[in-house]
Amino acid sequence: MVVAGLLMAFVILPAIFNFSLLSTQFWQIYTRFYITGLFGTFFYVALTLPLSVVLGFLMGWARVSRIRIFRWPASLYVNIFRGLPPLILVIFASLFGTSLIPQPILDRFFAGFRRGDIAVGIAAIAIAMHSSAYQAEIFRAGFQSVPKGQVEAAQALGLRSWQGMRHVILPQTFRLSLPPLGNEFAVLIKDTSILAGIAGTELVAKSRDLLGVLSASGLPIVWIFAVWTVVAITYLVLTYSVTRGLRLLERKFHTPGLEAISL
Amino acid sequence: MADLRKFLRERWRYIDAMLAVAVIVGSLAYIYDLLVGSRGLDVAYITRNYGLYVHAVLTNVYATTIAFLVGMAIGFSVGWLRTARTMPLAKFVLSLRAERRARSEDREVIKADSGFLIFFSLLWYGAKYVVRRIGDGFVEIIRGTPLYVQILFASSFFIVFLREYATEGLLIGIITLAINTGGYQAEIFRAGLQTVHSGQIEAARAIGFSRLRAMRYVILPQALRLIIPPLTNEYIGLFKASTFLFVLGVQTEISYIALHEGYAGDVFEIFAMVTAIFLAITVTLSFVVQSLERRFRIPGLGIEAVRKPRGVKMPAPVA
Amino acid sequence: MIRVNDVQKHFGALHVLRGITFEVQKGEAIVIIGPSGSGKSTLLRCINLLVEPDSGQVFIDGVQVNRHGIRHEWVRQQVGMVFQSFNLFTHLTAIDNVTLGLTRVKGMTHDKAVEKARELLARVGLAAKENSYPAELSGGQQQRVAIARALAMDPKAMLFDEPTSALDPEYIREVLDVMTALAREGMTMIVVTHEMGFASNVASRILFMDAGKIVEEGSAEQIFHRPKEERTRSFVSKILR
Repeated sequence: MVVAGLLMAFVILPAIFNFSLLSTQFWQIYTRFYITGLFGTFFYVALTLPLSVVLGFLMGWARVSRIRIFRWPASLYVNIFRGLPPLILVIFASLFGTSLIPQPILDRFFAGFRRGDIAVGIAAIAIAMHSSAYQAEIFRAGFQSVPKGQVEAAQALGLRSWQGMRHVILPQTFRLSLPPLGNEFAVLIKDTSILAGIAGTELVAKSRDLLGVLSASGLPIVWIFAVWTVVAITYLVLTYSVTRGLRLLERKFHTPGLEAISL
Repeated sequence: MADLRKFLRERWRYIDAMLAVAVIVGSLAYIYDLLVGSRGLDVAYITRNYGLYVHAVLTNVYATTIAFLVGMAIGFSVGWLRTARTMPLAKFVLSLRAERRARSEDREVIKADSGFLIFFSLLWYGAKYVVRRIGDGFVEIIRGTPLYVQILFASSFFIVFLREYATEGLLIGIITLAINTGGYQAEIFRAGLQTVHSGQIEAARAIGFSRLRAMRYVILPQALRLIIPPLTNEYIGLFKASTFLFVLGVQTEISYIALHEGYAGDVFEIFAMVTAIFLAITVTLSFVVQSLERRFRIPGLGIEAVRKPRGVKMPAPVA
Repeated sequence: MIRVNDVQKHFGALHVLRGITFEVQKGEAIVIIGPSGSGKSTLLRCINLLVEPDSGQVFIDGVQVNRHGIRHEWVRQQVGMVFQSFNLFTHLTAIDNVTLGLTRVKGMTHDKAVEKARELLARVGLAAKENSYPAELSGGQQQRVAIARALAMDPKAMLFDEPTSALDPEYIREVLDVMTALAREGMTMIVVTHEMGFASNVASRILFMDAGKIVEEGSAEQIFHRPKEERTRSFVSKILR
């Protein structure tokens, strides 16, 4: 499937719009933008992905907890962050972000950063939170699909409750959640592009930067499409490798009788 | 001490609930205090402007609905196309060879039109194969790339080739959203149609239903149950995605934010309003999905199988 | 060995156990029978505190276990439990299911645990299946692994909660054989079951429970052929026919 997609992006789009992805002049100019942008995207993914997994896991756990102090706030969190568009979250996070952090902490730890960079960082965290709400639902489904008898059996053996969690429930939850998590990671990678809307330095933003100077410097206008095609292929490869990677991981850990949840 | 423990145990349910509410209210109040603090909530601003924001969100609803319906046509066609069964190419060539061998024992006369036959069936299968692969590629590109990039691509397209329409942000936006949701809906339709077991069609035909009636009375009732909840989820997703219209210069809530941010200092009020309007729509719709699922649930017919949030990939179709 | 004294349990408005009192001597095999919903499973769960009794006392080896200051984990090591639905850990192989408790609860080294687990699996006749996952085993094999898993903790007594009810008829025999052998070796056992053949062969006593109470208690011969109570008679006549 992805082969068909890549083929279309590589062959059909250039044919329609009459550009070549092999032009050396194009790459001479675009490479610098592309590399900076790609590293920016990697940076934001590296920032948001671990954070969203941790948050999502904790929230998903809280949502199956019997204790309301955990369950109710987690439900509210999930419903709010799933219900709001990531773009809105990002824009408001970049506007409010710095006032949500107490001034002393700002002065002490972030003194070296420009205010704008901090705002983009907080917007990235907002994206992570949006994704974590979806991941919380994945983990919740994972927790709920571990039968109650497993917990009982662990208790009957004399395992402490944290041991039962660690050795019986969590291994099953993770195995069940891996493929849907891979899909959610792909969504997260795509969502980092939203940061281009608020002065984040990543692939889409850098590519747009090039287009800003395109007409002024007399370069062919169809390069616009070449640029977007390259960006599209990059995202296609990124999202495909992360979903594929987690699917392979699941296959590696696959145990008979434990089928991945579909959410 | 023992009394306290007993008291806590007996009243734990209530204490727990009260603490939970306290945590929620407390954290919301803390955020409110940080953002609004001593300046106080500008109620006058809200009463003066909420109509503007409701109107802006209604623009989103309008764009979403049109794009969704157009996308449904695209999605159904592409999804249905992708359920079409094609033989793997290698297997097809093998069967052709076997056929030729069988024919070669016959008289020479057939040989002439057998080449003709092979040519046309090859063409037919080839066309089917190519069309299906194009469907695959379309879905993969739409789902594998950010909507932002798709919108920028579309606006570039209009700027270069259709200059006179390049300022029609809403039009460009609706077209892009329609194509985008078409890709996502294709997966929903494909999964829905494929999940209805082929045995069901056979069973319906076996008791004397025509193909059309089997579709009407057996396949559709099952497929619709499977498809409606993920379609509603897709509508919610598309509605959230429609905020990107502002990139194209459509007057939506976000452009007002940009407008007001500079001098008004009422960003929190805007945030509160936009959040309230959006949550009202999305949470209501998700509630509708849940109750739909409960209402139409048939034991043994897995609705979960196709209930996917936006952007989730499904297993590849079985060739 | 195990003494239960006036145990009461409510689930919300439901009064499940209405004052249960009985005693099990070391080496005895007690069979509990009774209609469904009579509280048999809850009673077993009260003994290893998977369900905490509302009132009354449970003693194991003379120690009251349902009081403050006794760790539940300790209690559960004293009595092994076998469930109706096996509850083998789905993500672990047969041998890992057995060793998990040994290494994590008893703190045994991995090598020693494996050695002991092999021994136990051989004892239940599953030495060849040690690397199979539960989903790859038949119901009878799963239940035998579950018995080995419970035995691995060297329990002083074993609780069986309808161990054969979820099994296909052809697998019931193999599980009952393992249980019979266990009883012959002198393991203290409390078994909830509907297998009357097993009950009359193995049970030193039979308790008949109905509506949260022990209605009648006696030898297999007495309960099955000369029941005193009307309720026992009607239940027995239904299942023996």
